[in-house]
Amino acid sequence: MSTMSVSHKIVSETEWLAARKALLAREKELTRELDALRRERRELPWVRVEKSYEFEGPDGKLTLADLFDGRSQLIVQHFMLGPGWKEGCVGCSFKSDHIDGTLAHLEHHDVSFVSVSRAPIAEIEAFKKRMGWNFKWISSFSSDFNYDFHVSYTPEQIASGQAYYNYNFIPASSEELSGDSVFYRDSSGDIFHTYSTHGRGDEMFVGTYMYLDITPKGRNENGPRYNLTDWVRHHDRYEADGSVNEQGRYLAAAPKKMTCGCEGDA
Amino acid sequence: MSAIAEQHPVVSQQEWVKTRKSLLAEEKALMREQDALSRRLRDLPWVKVDKNYVFDTSEGKKTLAELFDGRSQLVVYHFMFGPEWDTGCPRCSMAADHFDRAVVHLAQRDVTMMAISRAPIEKLEPFKKRMGWQFPWASSYGNDFNFDYRVSFTPEEMQRGQFDYNYNTKGFPADEATDTSVFYKDEAENVFHTYSSYARGGEGMLLPYHFLDLVPKGRDEEHLRPDPMAWVRHHDRYKASR
Repeated sequence: MSTMSVSHKIVSETEWLAARKALLAREKELTRELDALRRERRELPWVRVEKSYEFEGPDGKLTLADLFDGRSQLIVQHFMLGPGWKEGCVGCSFKSDHIDGTLAHLEHHDVSFVSVSRAPIAEIEAFKKRMGWNFKWISSFSSDFNYDFHVSYTPEQIASGQAYYNYNFIPASSEELSGDSVFYRDSSGDIFHTYSTHGRGDEMFVGTYMYLDITPKGRNENGPRYNLTDWVRHHDRYEADGSVNEQGRYLAAAPKKMTCGCEGDA
Repeated sequence: MSAIAEQHPVVSQQEWVKTRKSLLAEEKALMREQDALSRRLRDLPWVKVDKNYVFDTSEGKKTLAELFDGRSQLVVYHFMFGPEWDTGCPRCSMAADHFDRAVVHLAQRDVTMMAISRAPIEKLEPFKKRMGWQFPWASSYGNDFNFDYRVSFTPEEMQRGQFDYNYNTKGFPADEATDTSVFYKDEAENVFHTYSSYARGGEGMLLPYHFLDLVPKGRDEEHLRPDPMAWVRHHDRYKASR
C-alpha cells in the first residue's frame, strides 16, 4: 500500500467547517445540475423496437417482451462475455458485484433488470455460478441484438478500425464492448428503446467507485493504464497473480516452476 | 405506479441519435465537473480526532483506530438504528444491500468499509444476520461518536428543534440521521476526520437511485411527499410486486 504524504493540511474544527461549507455549496449546485440532466434524459424521444429478438435463457427461448417480466421498464446490462471467453470482462464483473443487492428494490419499483451477453447460455451459466450472482443473465448468441445496440463487432468492423460505439466511430480492439440500454413497454405491448449509455456513462453503478471518490486516496489508479484494469480483479481472484489486459480480460500469470526446496532450486 | 404519458414522442433512429448525442455532450461535461468536485473534496483539510472513542464489535471492544483493521482509510456508514429500535432503517438497509458487495473491492484500495449505529451490538447482530450482510458493524452505544458526528441528537436538542445537522442549524425531524464519514490514519496511528456528507449528499452512493434515474418513470416518488422514500422496504419485506 502506498502511504500518503502526511503533509496534508490539518486544521481546527472551526476552520474545517468553513472549508466544508464552501464545498457543500458546490456539491448542492452539482446535485441540482444532475437533477436537471435526469429530467432531460427522461424527455428524450423514444424509438419503437420493430425487430423481434430472440434470446436464450436457462429455461429456454425468450423474446424482448418476456424480459420485462410483467413490469413496464427494463434495464439491459450489456455484459462483455463473448463466445468462448470462459470468464467475463473484469470491469463488467466489478460492476455486477453491486447488482444483486439492488434487485429487490428495483423490481418493487416497476423495473426489471437483465444482463445480456453474446456467449452461449451454458458458458454464461458456468461463470455466473462461479461468481455467485443471482441476477437474470441471458444469451443473445443467435440474434442481432448486441450488434444492433452497438456492443458487439464483427471481425470486419474491427479490421476496418471503424466501430460505432458511444455514438461515435472508434477503433475497437475487442469484439465485445459494454453499456446499458433502457426499454419501455406500453399497455398495448409496444416496446420502445428509451436510452443507452456507454463508456464512463455507467460509472455511477459501481458503488465501490462512489465510495472511493470520497476517500483521501480516491481511486488511486496510478498506471500502467490509469483505469480499473490497474487493480480490479474478479472478486475471487484478488489473491491470485496475473493481470488484466486493455480489453478488460483477465490473464493468468505464467505457471510458476514447481519446487519444494529439497530438490534444489535449479 | 404513476402512468407514463403514452403520447411520449416517438421518433426515427436517426433523429433519436441526434438528440442523444447532444445529451451525451451534457453528460460528459457534468461528469468532468463531478471529477473536479472529487478532487476538491480530497483537498479539504483534515481535523485530528483527539477523543478516544471505544466501540462494541463482534470481536469485543475496539477503538476508532482499531476499526481501520490494518488499512489507512476508513469509510463509516452511519446506519440509523437507535437503541430502542428493533430493526435498522429501511433506507439505510437499501444502501447496505449494495455496499456489502463493495467491501471486497474497497479493501484492495486500502479502504475499510463499515457501518456504525447507536443500537447495542446485541441488536445489530441478529438484524445483520437476518439481512444476510457481511460488512463489519460496530455499536457506538454509550459513547459520543454519533452525537459528535451529528447523526444522533439528544432529547434536549430534539426539544429545542434547532441544532447542527448537515452544516446548518435547522435541525432534523428524527433523533437518528444517516451520513457517511471518512477517516484517515497515519503511520503514527493518528486518526483524522477528512469528510462527512449528509442528506442528499449520500445519494451518489445509493445505487438503486442511479438505476431509477435512467428509466422513463424515474424515481417515481413525488406523489409520496413529504416522505418520498416511503416505498422502500427491507429487501425481505417487499410483497410480490406484479
